[in-house]
Amino acid sequence: MTTAARSGTDTELIAHLLRRAGFGATWEELQAAGDLGYQGTLDLLFNPGDPESMPQDIIRRYHPDQSITQIAPSSGSVWMYRMSTTKTPFEEKIALFWHRIFATGQTKLIQGKVMLTQIEMFRQFGLGSFRDLLVQLSQNPAMILWLDNQDNHKGNINENYGREILELFAMGVGNYSEEDIKECSRAFTGWTIANMPYMSIKMRNNTLRPYGYVAWQYQFDADDHDDGEKTFLGETGNFNGDDIIDIICKNPATPRFIARHLYHHFIADELPVPQWPFEGPKDPEAIELMVDAYFANDYSIGAMLRAVFESDMFKSEATQYARIKSPVELVVGTLRLAGGFDWPTADIFKATAACGFMGQALLAPVSVEGWMGGDDWISTGSMVQRINFASATVGDPTKKGIKSIIDQISDRHPRGLVTPKALVDECLELAGSLRVEDETKEGIVTYAREQGDIDPRTDDGVDKIVSVLQLIVSTREYQLV
Amino acid sequence: MTTETQKQLKYIDTNGFGAAQGGRGYHFPVDIAVRKDGLIYVLSRSGQGSLNGTGISVTDIDHHWHGEFSGYGTADGQMQWGTAIAIDSSDRLFLADEKMQRITIFDLDNNYVSHWGTAGSGPGEFDGPSGLSIDADGNLLVVDHKNHRVQRYTADGEYIDSFGSEGSASGQFNYPWGITTAPDGTIYVADWRNDRIQRFTSDGVFIDAHGDSGEGDGQFSRPSSVAVDHDGFIYVADWQNQRVQVFDKEWNFQTIVRGEAGLSPWAAEYIDANKDEKIAREVFNPYPKLDVDELYEVSARTEPYFWVPVSVTTYGDDRLLVLETARHRFQIFETV
Repeated sequence: MTTAARSGTDTELIAHLLRRAGFGATWEELQAAGDLGYQGTLDLLFNPGDPESMPQDIIRRYHPDQSITQIAPSSGSVWMYRMSTTKTPFEEKIALFWHRIFATGQTKLIQGKVMLTQIEMFRQFGLGSFRDLLVQLSQNPAMILWLDNQDNHKGNINENYGREILELFAMGVGNYSEEDIKECSRAFTGWTIANMPYMSIKMRNNTLRPYGYVAWQYQFDADDHDDGEKTFLGETGNFNGDDIIDIICKNPATPRFIARHLYHHFIADELPVPQWPFEGPKDPEAIELMVDAYFANDYSIGAMLRAVFESDMFKSEATQYARIKSPVELVVGTLRLAGGFDWPTADIFKATAACGFMGQALLAPVSVEGWMGGDDWISTGSMVQRINFASATVGDPTKKGIKSIIDQISDRHPRGLVTPKALVDECLELAGSLRVEDETKEGIVTYAREQGDIDPRTDDGVDKIVSVLQLIVSTREYQLV
Repeated sequence: MTTETQKQLKYIDTNGFGAAQGGRGYHFPVDIAVRKDGLIYVLSRSGQGSLNGTGISVTDIDHHWHGEFSGYGTADGQMQWGTAIAIDSSDRLFLADEKMQRITIFDLDNNYVSHWGTAGSGPGEFDGPSGLSIDADGNLLVVDHKNHRVQRYTADGEYIDSFGSEGSASGQFNYPWGITTAPDGTIYVADWRNDRIQRFTSDGVFIDAHGDSGEGDGQFSRPSSVAVDHDGFIYVADWQNQRVQVFDKEWNFQTIVRGEAGLSPWAAEYIDANKDEKIAREVFNPYPKLDVDELYEVSARTEPYFWVPVSVTTYGDDRLLVLETARHRFQIFETV
C-alpha cells in the first residue's frame, strides 16, 4: 500500500471523501460535515437517510416520457435529476460504479424503464453482499436481454451471459476455463423473462407499437433449465445459477477483481481492464485490504469501501486528485455546486446530453466492457465540452449555489473591497475546498488582479467573482477528483 | 355500514396506438376532450428526442381518424409543453402550454385563431397553465398550477377573476391539475399534491373537498383529472394509483376500474401486418405473474392496465373515456 501519511486539514480530507463517495460538497455541506468530523461523515455515508431528491411524481408530471421511452437522454435525465438533487449521493456513486462494471445499454434494449429499474437495483444492493448483487443481476430483465440469456436454453446454450459474468462482471480473464463458461451457461438456462418471445421481438423490431413498452418481468422457466450435473471451477453438482454464484463469490479471484475496479473508481486511475491479466494492480496492498474486508464481512462491498475510506492510503497526498473525473462526475458535481435543480426544466436534457458529448452517455455505455475511464475521458473535443459546460453552469449568478458563494464573499467583506488573492482563496474554499497547483493559482490571481477593484456588493463585482469561478472550473485540477 | 352502490362500469373498447412520429395514434397524450358532434380530440405532449409526436389528434368513437394539427414549436398555433384542451359551445378549442405560459385558440376547423399569456403571478398572468374547462357562462377556467389558483377568462382571453391560493386549507391548492365544470355548473378541481378533489360554486366559492392520501377506496395519490356525468356521478383519474375511482354526488364510493385494454382496431391492424409480432403475440400472457406490488411497476408490466391514467371525460350519457399517457391510448367504459 502507498505508505504516505494522511495529508490535509480535516475539512480538506472530508472534501476529498465527499468528492469520491459523492460528487463533491458545497461549502454549506462541508460546514455540516465538519461538525461531524471525518469519521462521523463516513458513518453517515453508510447510514444514509431519505435522499430527498426531486420526487418521481414531479418528474413524471413534467416529463411524462422520461421513465418510459427508448431515448437515452430522456430516461438518463431521470437519473440526472436524482444525482444532482439527492441528499445521499453515495448511493448514486455506487450505482454509477456498477453501471460502469455491469454495463447495460438501452441502445439495444430500446426501453428506458427497465434500465432505470436496474439502476434502482444497484442503489439497493450495491453496497451489500456481492453474492446478493450477482443474484439480482442475473435475474435482472435488462441484463437478461442485454446478454441474450433469453436465448440460453436447455440443450442449446447461449454463452453470452455465462461468459461475461466470469470475464467482465466477477472474476476477470485467466481465472476460469472455456469449459467453465459452458457449465456456467448451462446453470443459467431457464433464467428468462415473462412473455419472452413477444418482448424479444418488440426489442428487436425497435418499436413502441402498439401500446408503448411493456416493462419486463423476470421468470424462471423450470422446463427450460438444465438440471444435469455440471463441473464448475473444480466443483461438481446439479448446479443452478445460485450455486454458480456461490462458487464464484468464494473464489479469491473474485474480490481481487472487484477490488481493482473499486480502486479504479474510488481511489486512483488504474490501467484499462484488458491489461489487467498482464499487469498487476497499481497498489497490491490496497487490493489485499479490500479482499480481507470482503471475506471478513460476508462478501460485503460496503465493507471493502469502508476499509478504503478509513485507511491512511486513502487520505494520503498521493490519492487526492489522483483520478480524472468521469463526465458524469464533472457534470453532476458542477450542477450541485451551482445548486442543482429546484423544479423540472428543459435544462436537464442539456446536462444529460453534455455527459454524452464528453463520452459517457448515461444508460448507454459504449460496450459491454463499459467505459475504460482514466485517460480515455480526455481528448481535445471532450476537454472543450467539459470546460464549456462547467464554465456556463457556474457563470450564472442567479443559480442558488453561485448566489450563495457571492453572498458569502460579500458577508466576509462588509466594506466591499476584496483583494485578488483573497478572492481566489475564498472562491476555491467556497467551491468545495478545492486545491490547485501554485502556478495555477498564481494565474488566476493575476487574472483577478487585472480586473481591478472587486466589490461583491455591485453587479460589476458579481461579474468578476463569477469570472474567477469560471476560471477555476476551467483548470486542469478541476478535471481531477 | 355498507353503502349500496348505484354505478358500475364495464369496459367496452380501446382507441389508440403509439405514434412517436405523428400520424394515426398518440404519443404521451395528456388530455382528451369531446366536441358536441362527437369528435374526440387528444392532446399528445410527446417526449424529448421524439417531438414529432406532439400535436392534437382528432378521432371518433368508431375509430375513424380525422387527422391532426398543431405541433412542437414556438410559432403561432404550436406548443412546447402542452397540458390541456377544452372545447366551448362554439366548437372553438383552447390549448394550454405550461412552458410558453399561453393559451391558444383554434376555430372549429382546427385553424389557429389567436393566443394570449404572460409569465407571472399577477392577475391575468400564468405560471404553468395546466387544466382547462368551459364554465356555465361560457368563460374559460384555467388552472394556473404553480400559482396554485384558478383563473377565469372570457372566451377571447380577457381576464375576469380568480380563486385559490397555495396551501392545504379549504379552497387552497397544492399544484392543482385538472378541472371540470359539472352539468349543474359546479366546478371540480383535481388538487393534485393535496390528494383530493375540491368543489366550488360557479362563482368560485368553496363547497367541499373529498379525499386524502392513500391507496384505499376514496383515497387518492395525485389525482390529475375529474369528470362529472348528467346524474352527478364523479369520475377521478387517480393518476399515481393507476386507476379511476367513481363516486356519487355525495362522495359515496361506487367503484374502481384499473383498465383491461384489448387491441384497438389500429393496434390489431399493425399486429396483423407484422407477422413475427403476431405469432409471438399468440402466446402473449397480458397478465404475467409479477414480483412487484408498487402500482406504477405493476402497470408498467401489465399491458391491459391503465398506465398513467391522466384524463377522464364523459362521452354521451353513459360512457367514460380514460386517457393513458404511457400507453398512448384511451379506454372506453360504459355504465352497466
